[in-house]
Amino acid sequence: MSKSSEEVLLIVKNVKNKKTDGTLYLMGERMAWMLESKNVFNISYMYADIKAQKISPDSKEKVQLQVILHDGSANTFLFNNPRSRQTQMQDRESVKELLQQLLPKFKRKISAELEEKNRLLQEDPESFQLYKDLVVSGVITPEEFWASRAHMLPSSTSSSSSSGGKTAPAQNVGVSPAFLADIKPVTDGANGLKYNLTQDIIQSIFKTYPMVKKKHAEAVPHQVSDCEFWSRFFQSHYFHRDRHALSSEDIFTECAKNDEEVMKDEITKNVNDPLVDLTQMKDQSLEDDYRGIVDDTRTSNNVSNQAMIRRFNQHSTLVLRACTSASTGGVASENSAVEGGRKEKDSSRKSKSNEVNHVNGGVAHPTNGTSDSVEEPHRKKKRIKEKIGFEDLDDKEESEGVTLRLTQMDRYLHGPTPSSSTASASVASRLGHDDVTSEDAILSVASEVEGWGSARHMVLGSTEALSVLGELSPGGALMSGTSLQQLHQQVSPATRDEIKQNYNAMCELLRHFWSCFPVSSKSLEDKVVKMRQTLERFEMSKLAPLKEKLSQYHYAMNLTGHLEEMLRAAYLKFDAWQARRNARRP
Amino acid sequence: MDGIKTDKLESSLLIVILDTNPVWWGKKKIAQDPMTLSHCVDCLTVLANSHLMVSHNNKLAVIAAHTDISTFLYPSSQPARPDIFKLPDDGQYEVFNSVESQLRTQLKTLIEADKAQVDYMEEQSSDSLLAGAMCMALCYIHRLEKECPIGESLTARILILKGSDDCPSQYMNFMNAVFTAQKQNVVIDACILDSESGLLQQACDITGGTYLNIPQAQGLLQYLLWVFLPDPSSRSKMALPPRAQVDYRAACFCHRNLIEIGYVCSVCLSIYCSFSPICSTCQTTFKIIGPQKLVKKKIKKP
Repeated sequence: MSKSSEEVLLIVKNVKNKKTDGTLYLMGERMAWMLESKNVFNISYMYADIKAQKISPDSKEKVQLQVILHDGSANTFLFNNPRSRQTQMQDRESVKELLQQLLPKFKRKISAELEEKNRLLQEDPESFQLYKDLVVSGVITPEEFWASRAHMLPSSTSSSSSSGGKTAPAQNVGVSPAFLADIKPVTDGANGLKYNLTQDIIQSIFKTYPMVKKKHAEAVPHQVSDCEFWSRFFQSHYFHRDRHALSSEDIFTECAKNDEEVMKDEITKNVNDPLVDLTQMKDQSLEDDYRGIVDDTRTSNNVSNQAMIRRFNQHSTLVLRACTSASTGGVASENSAVEGGRKEKDSSRKSKSNEVNHVNGGVAHPTNGTSDSVEEPHRKKKRIKEKIGFEDLDDKEESEGVTLRLTQMDRYLHGPTPSSSTASASVASRLGHDDVTSEDAILSVASEVEGWGSARHMVLGSTEALSVLGELSPGGALMSGTSLQQLHQQVSPATRDEIKQNYNAMCELLRHFWSCFPVSSKSLEDKVVKMRQTLERFEMSKLAPLKEKLSQYHYAMNLTGHLEEMLRAAYLKFDAWQARRNARRP
Repeated sequence: MDGIKTDKLESSLLIVILDTNPVWWGKKKIAQDPMTLSHCVDCLTVLANSHLMVSHNNKLAVIAAHTDISTFLYPSSQPARPDIFKLPDDGQYEVFNSVESQLRTQLKTLIEADKAQVDYMEEQSSDSLLAGAMCMALCYIHRLEKECPIGESLTARILILKGSDDCPSQYMNFMNAVFTAQKQNVVIDACILDSESGLLQQACDITGGTYLNIPQAQGLLQYLLWVFLPDPSSRSKMALPPRAQVDYRAACFCHRNLIEIGYVCSVCLSIYCSFSPICSTCQTTFKIIGPQKLVKKKIKKP
């Protein structure tokens, strides 16, 4: 199962397992341990098989890490760096951190995979039957079964992250526009507020504010803890509606600056539609009855209000963009090292409410007026063209196809000849008059026709008529097959089903067998030998009883004949292969 | 009395195409084969009369597929000569008598024309113009369907009585006629007197007709009456010979061999029995990437 192209993420030396020294490897999709002075992995666990990891408490003398597998077994690694206990701890920490990041990825994947497989089996009774026949009875392993059915699983089952490129990307989940407002603080009685941050919310924040994500990635492991980061986030002015006073020590200051740039960028990029004049837009209703505000007196000169609306606009832009850019934004979500479902944030100095009002009509805000100054003639032209051009009215140019030049056209017009040539030869030989010229032939027919008398009573003799009737009666020479009962009438539905199941199962096995050829690697070699044994086992355990059973019904036809033929062919191939292999090896 | 039945007149048109290839029939005759043209025509006459007898509305046509011409034997285009057309002396139904006499006279003129030509004719091809005869039959069917009065329905079928061999040069015309028949819901039956005909097998299979190569030439009439007289609609109720497996293999363009697996030019659909890098019909060049050669690994000896 070892793959040579695996990326090694971490190598830790001086790791003891069962009192022998070795090296621990963390790779893309498994962890492995190798005995000192050897070059094969003694122990290898797929991350997907690992249920949890445990570490020994710091108070203990030994620095250990235990890996618990899904099947209940566990293995303990002892970090035994001779230098110091400190380095031992470091080693273990690095392993732990990495595992912490890797395990959730595989955990989610495997459960999704299992569900998918389960669903497939439920929907496809034939596969289910095959699964029961082959996997449950232990003829082949589930991995082999699913490997051959990879095309049926929508998400590629090859769980290596590197090969994920070929799978179709799942649809991006959008971001709720009110996700920030939905983070409801809970007063803890004292002078503090509690925020409940779920994984989803964190994802949303990251998606919408890539700057925060960047900051998080920069700050979290080194400067501040995860918890601290988030409480700072909430405390910061960045989170709040007013952002006038940006203190320089706040880590989010940079985010705010970046936001300004993004906003400007957005304005120049998107709000220069020549067909829309935003400056002429007023935040007012069309009808007096509807809302009754005729004059927009709220064009506030309050700076804080402006800033707030500005923020809303920006927030909405980012939320909208999060859906589209998430796919291109690369490493989307899963890297967040935040584990556990919920994190509790406690901010003690909270005083301001973060109540968010949904104000509509933000588009009309004067800040957007700057767009007029930026003009891109090219873009404008394109936009206008887009509006005035209609695809339906375009002249359709039919491309002239390549003319086909055929040389020997008559070839198409001729039918098959050889059968007739041989047939005519046979006729001639049968008649024994190959040398009869057509002239003679015509003359003889003419003479026959000349002396043509009425011979109506001679048309059909009774003996001929009887023999022809015999031919045409059921069972006669021309009626072959009609008197026989149809096969599907003879065989009972239950037996038919059973034969069909056996066919299915055996064809599956044979497919595995034949897919081993050409035997180009050691693993294929092992597999082909195993498949041969499996086939033999199948013949013994399934085919033989079936044959016995069928023989009791005394069918005219050998119903298992074809199955046996297929098996013989496979055995022959295997024997030939084995003989050749043995001959090559002295 | 029979009001409902008479409301809808159903007539069945049977068109018999008779292979009158004089070369083939003459060779048979010289070989003293019991199967002669006159015997065949006699049998055909009985079948035709039987068909006319089945229902008063039934119609009949007989077309001769000759070597150089396809012509109607019945109903003949020429007006019946009074000296030949006389009332039957034995009290036979006039229509039957006219069928018989017309078939004979027309056939005689056909053969006599051949005899007259025989001196200044080099080598007559032994092909029968079957495709042409089929097209004539289809046209005739079409005409009768058009002439069919409202309230009357006409079902037509073609029976081919064939002795001579398939003619490959007529292949395209033949197949076109067959597909036209299929489209017009015309059933083509074939009664083969000698060697199997792959083309007719296909024709019958495509149109849903019966193909029968008769084993005993002497009993021709029995086969005709037993197998080919019933309408296609009533055949399903009878125990008739089962349909044979039809050979639909195509012939390759290079050697005209029937092949099961071959190479088809993706541009012009020419069929070849072996791969050639340039299609000889449309000159397309092909680059086939064959299976990569396996690199032989040298096994190091320890």
